[in-house]
Amino acid sequence: MILEVDAVSKRFGALAALTRVSFAVAPGQVFSVIGPNGAGKSTLFNVVAGHYTPEAGRVHFDGDDVTGVPPERLNRRGLAKTFQITNVFPEISVADNVRVAAQSRAPESGRLASLWRRTEVDHLTRPLLEAFGLAGRREALARDLSHGEQRYLEICLALATAPKLLLLDEPTAGMTPGETREATALIRAIALERGLTVLLIEHDMSVVMGISDRVAVLHFGEKIAEGTPEQIRNDPKVIDAYLGGADD
Amino acid sequence: MRVLGWRAVVVFALLAALPLVPGMSRYYLLLAFDALLFGAIAMSLDLLMGYTGLVSFGHAAFYGLGAYATAILLERGVQSVWACLAFAVVVVGLYALVVAYFATARRGIYFALLTLIFAEVVYTFFRYTQTFGGSDGIQGLPDATILPGVPLDTPLKKYYLVFVYLLAAYAVCRVVVASHFGRVLVAIRENEDRARFLGYNVARYKMGACMISAILTGIGGGIYPMRSAFATPDLMLWTESGEFIISVMIGGLGTLVGPVVGGVFFTLLRDKVSSFVDWYFIVIGLVLVVIVLFMPRGLLGYRKVLGFSQWRASG
Amino acid sequence: MDYLVGVLLPQLLHGLVFGAALGLLALGLTVIFGLLGVMNFAHGELYMLGAYAGIAVIGVTHSFWVALIAAPILVGVVAAVTEMATLRPIYRREPLYGLILTFGLALVFREGARQIWGGDMRRILPPVTGSTPLLGMTYPNYRLFLLAASSILLLALWLFFTRTRAGIVVRAAVQDAQMLDGLGVNVRRVFTLTFAASGALAALAGLLLAPIFTVYPQMGVEMILLAFIVVILGGMGSMGGSVIAAFVIGIAQSLFSLWMNPQRVAIAIFGIMILVLIVRPRGFLGREGVLE
Repeated sequence: MILEVDAVSKRFGALAALTRVSFAVAPGQVFSVIGPNGAGKSTLFNVVAGHYTPEAGRVHFDGDDVTGVPPERLNRRGLAKTFQITNVFPEISVADNVRVAAQSRAPESGRLASLWRRTEVDHLTRPLLEAFGLAGRREALARDLSHGEQRYLEICLALATAPKLLLLDEPTAGMTPGETREATALIRAIALERGLTVLLIEHDMSVVMGISDRVAVLHFGEKIAEGTPEQIRNDPKVIDAYLGGADD
Repeated sequence: MRVLGWRAVVVFALLAALPLVPGMSRYYLLLAFDALLFGAIAMSLDLLMGYTGLVSFGHAAFYGLGAYATAILLERGVQSVWACLAFAVVVVGLYALVVAYFATARRGIYFALLTLIFAEVVYTFFRYTQTFGGSDGIQGLPDATILPGVPLDTPLKKYYLVFVYLLAAYAVCRVVVASHFGRVLVAIRENEDRARFLGYNVARYKMGACMISAILTGIGGGIYPMRSAFATPDLMLWTESGEFIISVMIGGLGTLVGPVVGGVFFTLLRDKVSSFVDWYFIVIGLVLVVIVLFMPRGLLGYRKVLGFSQWRASG
Repeated sequence: MDYLVGVLLPQLLHGLVFGAALGLLALGLTVIFGLLGVMNFAHGELYMLGAYAGIAVIGVTHSFWVALIAAPILVGVVAAVTEMATLRPIYRREPLYGLILTFGLALVFREGARQIWGGDMRRILPPVTGSTPLLGMTYPNYRLFLLAASSILLLALWLFFTRTRAGIVVRAAVQDAQMLDGLGVNVRRVFTLTFAASGALAALAGLLLAPIFTVYPQMGVEMILLAFIVVILGGMGSMGGSVIAAFVIGIAQSLFSLWMNPQRVAIAIFGIMILVLIVRPRGFLGREGVLE
């Protein structure tokens, strides 16, 4: 198992955002976490990614206990995350965006030599940009990209750090159905090609059913179901959670 | 690696030739000294403000501390320029280390507030400590010497001192900005959280930027008493910090060259307007407000060099 | 015992009053920063303008009590106009611009006051004189009034923020400014009103404290520096933290003044801040995580 979430609980004041959530992700899998609004999906991601420290429970990544390890260290261990709200570097070009992501793995990164060495990473950034169809936009400022292009750029940034595990927080949010289909296929293809494990939060059922190997369902901070997409689709508890008055 | 493009070479050549211009009286040479010094400091502040996105409201403390470091040595008969500046680097470096440690731990706003608070404390300390001359500071200093027995006593020699300083500071800034490190600074300015999630220890980069900027400024401060023959607490006033900020804003954030121009422009302006001392601060305040509202990119901002493209372009 | 009652206790009470004023300022800073995303460097100047507006109103009406009502309103109007004209255009920009803008505004207000009223110290005479024996000491009546007034003010604010809908919304929005969008409120008007209100409160504090301290254009600078320390100590974005920290600093300042000269007091206060930052970087009630 590349990721093990072990009985994680997280509170915000009086609000129990996560209660004893556990699951495990095998290497190379595409694992989706779904649930109605407020189910705790983003909180779960933030705990896994090191942004929050849980009150109880542990997170194991690639064999190590990484509970509470800060995001920058987690990233160096091979965990990359995209954000739900597009979070790129707005005033610099697309190419520069990906460059700064790719160069973080350069040997001089974090050392004194980085003060004067320039890092050539175009051989890493070019294939990524091409894979996501952004090669033609490489000189455009990130803030001038369309919404869908920015979401792709987000993923490029995460991938440029050569992760083992990719956390995608609603990658198709705000995309048109056409873009969503494209994005879904792209994510699946890239994951396969690079031997990536993907942990996905999604709202859009078609995306989830289309690419997931396994699905976990959260409701009010608790995991209420886990299984293959088929099993989840037919699980009465899941149907109840989505239809039983919870907003979508 | 080409650090100075042809445009920069031309400008520096012109600056080097400036004293040869007919009519370059002692007064004007010293004014040029002040302008270049101010411009260099504004440029080093730009490293922090324009490239990393951190506003330092206490930059004057780095400047003033450097001045006092030199003054203390000169007062005791240690006149070597090298010794004085080395001492300034050590003093300002230590202070900057402490400030940066606290100020870069959290969000950018902490940086602005803490640099201000630290600077006020430093000012208060020097203003009210008699060992350092209190409000009068340290006065009547001898000239510094470039080599034993070779004093920097004429305005011409002093001018070339600051010229070399500006050249060196510019080279350092250019290298840093174009480097791996510089790229990360811009990323931090653009989106600190994202930079963190890409594996960068953001606090450490901010500290690095702060220390480089502070030390460059501290060297500039160390040079000041070699021209003025004194160091006073007023060099550390927050109003002085405001003047650095305004120079950066006038010239253009994130351009390095802009703030130099802004600093020069501001020094010349201040020289002309000094008779209107009464309204001086209101004008500064209004200029800041107007620039932010209507001309946020400053004079040179239209060149749009906020990205990394400059490390491929020349000058 | 005499020392305790005759010297320490009054100084403690002074500290409470000073802390209340600091709390008003720090609260204003926190609310504005949380809501508008701007750290208002000109807040100390609004405090100062309150005192000068008071002088102006007293000059016309000869009544401190009228000034107590009129001056905050006047300053509130100035604040509202300033917000609409200068702050509103820059909300969407990088935060660095807000800092520089308010810094510039502070300069304009400060020097403007100096131009209008001159740079010398001015005095506002306390509206109530004499002193009262209290708990074994004699305490000036005006200071008693201040104690009462600040208690009432703080109570009123507490009620506002916990019992009224507007207050609860503002408090929540300070934590998360984006929530306002979903509420269907006129966000611009809320911003302007909040800024004006915080300015009026700062002005009120300035006028109330004026009879104790002297009035001069720089009076806001010292207060704002202390207010910044308070905000950092209390935890950025925490309203409760600001108030608690304000009292801590206010009392510390007051007590230290008994034993040290003003410069040492300043350095001691600074030392407290550093100590807290080392031990608890997020401040008293700040949120966890480096990202706050």
